Amino acid sequence: MMRKKTCVAMLLAGGQGSRLGILTKTVAKPAVPYGGKYRIIDFPLSNCTNSGIDTVGVLTQYQPLELNRYIGSGAPWDLDLNNGGVFVLPPYQKGKVGEWYRGTANAIYQNMAFIEQYNPDYVLILSGDHIYKMDYNKMLQFHIRNGADATIAVREVPWEEASRFGIMNTDAESKIIEFEEKPKQPKSNKASMGVYIFTWEKLRKYLTEDEADKTSSNDFGKNIIPKMLDDKQVMVAYQFDGYWKDVGTIESLWEANMDLLSTPLPIDLHDKKWRIYARNPGYTPHYIAKGATVTDSMITEGSEIYGHVHHSVIFSGVTVEEGANVQDAVVMPGAVIHRGAIVRRAIIAENAVVGPGCVVGEETGNIAVVGNGITLPAGVSVTAGQQVDASTTF
Amino acid sequence: MLKDVMGVIYTGENDANLRELTMMRAIAALPVAGRYRVVDFLLSSMVNAGIRNVGVIMQKNYHSLMDHLGSGKEWDLHGKHDGLYVLPPFLTRENVGVYSGTLDALRSNTNYLSRSKQEYVVLCNSSMICNPHMDQFIQFHMDTNADITLMYTREESMMRDDMGTYIQVAEDGRVTDMEVDPTHPTHNNTFMEILILKRDYLRDLVDKGVAHGHHELSRDVLMPMVRDGNGRVMAWEYDGPAWRLDSVQGYFKFNMDVLDADVRRKLFSDDLPVYTKIRDEMPARYGENAMAVNSLVADGCIIEGTVENSILFRGVRIAPDAHVKNCIIMQDGQVHSNAYIENCILDKQAVIKRNARLIGPNAYPIVIAKNVVI
Repeated sequence: MMRKKTCVAMLLAGGQGSRLGILTKTVAKPAVPYGGKYRIIDFPLSNCTNSGIDTVGVLTQYQPLELNRYIGSGAPWDLDLNNGGVFVLPPYQKGKVGEWYRGTANAIYQNMAFIEQYNPDYVLILSGDHIYKMDYNKMLQFHIRNGADATIAVREVPWEEASRFGIMNTDAESKIIEFEEKPKQPKSNKASMGVYIFTWEKLRKYLTEDEADKTSSNDFGKNIIPKMLDDKQVMVAYQFDGYWKDVGTIESLWEANMDLLSTPLPIDLHDKKWRIYARNPGYTPHYIAKGATVTDSMITEGSEIYGHVHHSVIFSGVTVEEGANVQDAVVMPGAVIHRGAIVRRAIIAENAVVGPGCVVGEETGNIAVVGNGITLPAGVSVTAGQQVDASTTF
Repeated sequence: MLKDVMGVIYTGENDANLRELTMMRAIAALPVAGRYRVVDFLLSSMVNAGIRNVGVIMQKNYHSLMDHLGSGKEWDLHGKHDGLYVLPPFLTRENVGVYSGTLDALRSNTNYLSRSKQEYVVLCNSSMICNPHMDQFIQFHMDTNADITLMYTREESMMRDDMGTYIQVAEDGRVTDMEVDPTHPTHNNTFMEILILKRDYLRDLVDKGVAHGHHELSRDVLMPMVRDGNGRVMAWEYDGPAWRLDSVQGYFKFNMDVLDADVRRKLFSDDLPVYTKIRDEMPARYGENAMAVNSLVADGCIIEGTVENSILFRGVRIAPDAHVKNCIIMQDGQVHSNAYIENCILDKQAVIKRNARLIGPNAYPIVIAKNVVI
C-alpha cells in the first residue's frame, strides 16, 4: 500500500519537439542540453524537488533512450525514494490493445492507475519545454485558497506576441472567464505556461468523459480546459512573474543560452536555496590554456580551451583548439572545434566535430546548427540558418 | 573475482608539515585539483577495479571527511551489500581512541575486518595521490602467489630524506630489502603505502603484531618479514604519476602539476575516472574583461579579473581588476578588485579585500586559513 500524497506531478515529455529540427532527431526535447551543464528537464524536475513535490511521473514516447538513461533512478534530483520518486511512464499494452499517447490528456488518462496509487488530492501537469524556476507549492496553496478545480499558471507576454499563445481572459479575482488559443485579437496578454494544477477528483472525471468523446483530440488546451470552462468549473489564473523562456525552436534555444551571459543573470542559477540539479558527468574543472582568450562566456567542467571564446556557452568535455574562434555560439557536450575554425551564431550539438578551418554560421542571420555526432571535414562552410546532419553533403 | 577484494584506507597520518591546511581536516579531506579531495583518488581507483566494500579508518579532524564521503553514493558505494564503511575512532577499555599507527588502527577495527566477507584486502594510506589500475595490481598478486604485494613507484620526486619506505626489488618481483625512514634512501623504489594480502592473513599479522607491542605496519611487520625471508613479499610497479602530500610545498606542487595537459590525461584517464562529491553549481562565468591563462577553473566561479597559472575551486569570485598569479583558491574564496596575490593558497571561504597585495616566495607559498579576511 502506497502512502497518500497531497500532490503528484506528471511531466509531459513525449513530444518530438520538431521545431528544434535536427537537434531532436535522436533525442526527446526534454533531453536537449541547455545552459552548459543542464538538460531542459532539469528545470521542471528541480522545481518539483525544491517545491516539496516528490512523486513525479515522466511520460515519454518519442526517442526515450537518452531521457531514460538521464533520469535513471532520479538520484541527482533527490527523487530516488522509497515512497515516491521519479517514474518514467512509456505507453504500454492493456489486454489486447496497445496504443501510443494520442494527446496530452490521453497520456494522463492512460496513466490514471499510476496516479491513483498515491490517492492524491491534486495533480500538477508540467511540460518539458521551458526554462524557469517556479515554486509549485505556492501555486498549489493559491489553488487551495481559491477553492479551485483547476489553476493555470500564466505569464504576461508582450501584447504583440500574445497571438502566439493560449490566452486567459480573467476577471478581477483572477477567475478565468475565457480561454482563447492563439487569438488574432487578444483581449489579454496573460499566456498559459502549460503548467496546470487540477483537483484530482475533477480531472479524473473530465479525463474519463474526454476519453469517451470520439471527436476529441484528447488535448488539455483544446479539450479539457474549454470543457471545464463551459461547465462553469472554478478555474483561476496564477500569475508568475519570473524568468520563463520557451526553448522550442533553434532560435529560442540559442537565445535562452545567450540569456545566461547577461549581467545580472535573468535567471539566478547561483541561488543556493533553489538549486537546479543535473546529472554530473564527473570531469575535472575546465582548463584555459596559455594563449587562449575567454570573455563574456560560460564554461563548464571537462572542457579545454586553447583558442578564443567570446560570448558563448561551452558545455562539458568540449575542446576548442588553438587559433579556433568561437563567438555567440552554443557548443554542446563533447564537441571539438579544431584549429583555425570560425564558429559564429551557431549551435554545435553533442559530440560534433568542426574540422580545421571550417566556417560555421555568419555574423548575422539565422542560427547555424551542426547536428549530434556530425563531423565537418576540414575547410567546409556552413551558412547562416543551415542545419547539418548525416544527409548533408559537401 | 574482484568482488572478493575489499579496501581499507587509513587516514590518520602525520600532517604537521601541512600547517593550517590540515588544522581542521585530515589529509584525506584536503581539497585538491579544483574539485576533488585527496581520498577521491584511491577510493575511485578501488571502485574502478570492482571493489565494493571499502572501510575508511578515521583518526582526527574527521568531520570534513565524513561530510565529503556521505553515504558513498558518488562512488556507487551505497548498495545493500557492503558499500562504504566510515570507521571513526572510539573508546573502549583497551582502546584509547588514539591510534599509534596502522596496526593499532586495524586492531581497533577488527570487528569490521572479521565481519567482511572478502578473501583479500587492499590496504592503503591516504597521503599520496595516484590513480593505479588496481585490478592489474590485484591480478599480479594472485598470479604470483604472494603473501603480500606492495605497490611501488620509481618516480624520483617521491623520495625524501628521513621519511618513507623504500624497497629493493629483484627481477622476479620479489622484495629483497626494505628501509624505513632512512636518512638518505639507498633504494630508489618508493613503497606507496598500498598493499594487498589475504584478509585472514592481515588479521593474523595484526593480532601477532599488537601482542608484541608493535604499532607500525612497515617498520614492525613488513621489514622483519623481508629481512628474515619468512613470507613471500612481492612488488608491483605503478608507472603513472604520483605525488606525496607531506608538506605545503608538496601540496602546491601537485596542484600546479595538474595544469599540465599530459599530467591531467594520465591522472584522469577515461578508463579510470575519479569520482567526487557533487555540488550542483552553475558553470563558471567570465566577464567582459576577464583574462585567464593556464588555469583550472571549477563550476560556480565568476571571473572578471586576471587569473594566471592558478587553480580555482568551486564558487570562487575574482573581481574586476583583481590579479591572481600562481595561486590555489579553494571553494568560495574571493579576491576583490585591485587586489594582487601571488604564490598563495587560500583555504575555503578566504577573502582578499580590495587593494590588498600578498606575494609569497616561490618556494614557500603563503597559506591563508579558512574563513580569514585580509
